[in-house]
Amino acid sequence: MQTPATGVPALSRDLSESRYAADAVEVTLAASGDAHAFERLYRRHVTRIHNLVRRMHGPDDSEEVTQDVFVRAWEKLGTFRGESAFSTWLHRLAINVILARREERGRRHARYSEDATLLDAAPARRAAPEEAMDIEGALARLPAGARQVFVLHDVEGYRHEEIADMLGLATGTSKSQLHRARMALRAWLD
Amino acid sequence: MTDQWMDRLSEYLDGDLAPGERAALEAHLADCATCRTTLGEIRGVISRAHALVDQPLGRDLWPGIAALIGSAGTPVVDLAARRARKRVSFSMPQLAAAAVLLVAVTAGGTSLALRGSSPARPALGSGERPVAHAIPAGLPNKAEVSYDAAVNDLERALDAGRSRLSPKTIQVLEKNLARIDAAIGEARTALQADPANAYLNAHLANTMQQKLELLRQATQLAGAQS
Repeated sequence: MQTPATGVPALSRDLSESRYAADAVEVTLAASGDAHAFERLYRRHVTRIHNLVRRMHGPDDSEEVTQDVFVRAWEKLGTFRGESAFSTWLHRLAINVILARREERGRRHARYSEDATLLDAAPARRAAPEEAMDIEGALARLPAGARQVFVLHDVEGYRHEEIADMLGLATGTSKSQLHRARMALRAWLD
Repeated sequence: MTDQWMDRLSEYLDGDLAPGERAALEAHLADCATCRTTLGEIRGVISRAHALVDQPLGRDLWPGIAALIGSAGTPVVDLAARRARKRVSFSMPQLAAAAVLLVAVTAGGTSLALRGSSPARPALGSGERPVAHAIPAGLPNKAEVSYDAAVNDLERALDAGRSRLSPKTIQVLEKNLARIDAAIGEARTALQADPANAYLNAHLANTMQQKLELLRQATQLAGAQS
């Protein structure tokens, strides 16, 4: 008989495994051309992906970018090897789509110096209560580069080495961007 | 006014400082109220980031996606299109493991609930249905054993609850299980001739899934009758 102490983690693990299993079957069907199966995958993951897009890319065009993620996923299902969970694969693909979008805007090289200027302008102390905002609002206010590093590290749980690899940065730059983002957020949050 | 340690607070929190630097910063924190306050505020930012809740999407994006992938109005593409698509390399052991995992969560609870009942009738379908053996030959023993074990566990649970099902329900159930087992057998035979066929693999996976789902539903039904 399970004790309460082991029951909750066990249930969490079982639910996670159940989702993994459900995805595995749907991915196989979708990769063979079954759009019904792909729609089920879409419905299972769209909230998670859209929130990642909204936070990393910003609210503008977030629905269009989310749509792009799923179209790309459909096109690339044949390359999914099942070496990781489908959710992990889709998450990484979404990040690539988001970053490609920013590349298209042609601002990548200017972004980090621009970030530094904007973040340096953040107040050193916390905002007055009437000027404070919730974390979603504060996140949207961050410059793109700092926002991406913060979301990937503090929201999504990636390590600096992974972030640096994804964003084409030095690890030290990722760390300094994260600290600047945290300092700015601390000043803006209610 | 900031000091040299203010810019290292995130690294401190993330465990990225060398032991010597960490000790020096902790010594500094003991004397610097500003850094202590800032450290607490950064902790608060991180906590709020971890606690972010996903917001539901304002509208359904699926119609647009369906149109872009060419599936609007034709949910399943034809066989030729299926075969033209690049094959997914999900292996059958992975599918088998996935199917087993899918059913294990619910099967475990149901079989536990039903265990202890003593079936008054012979085991369900014993000696009548084809032997269920959904995993193709040549797969790793572990996957085969896991799948068979899951199926057997469900069948035992169902047998234990058999007396709670009506004869008509049992008749329909056995008929459908026999059909599914026959389909699994046919798919396995076809796959022996063409093991990499994506359609056959998907069909087999789907049929295996159907069997597990049917058994799961039946055990739940038996449990609900108690």
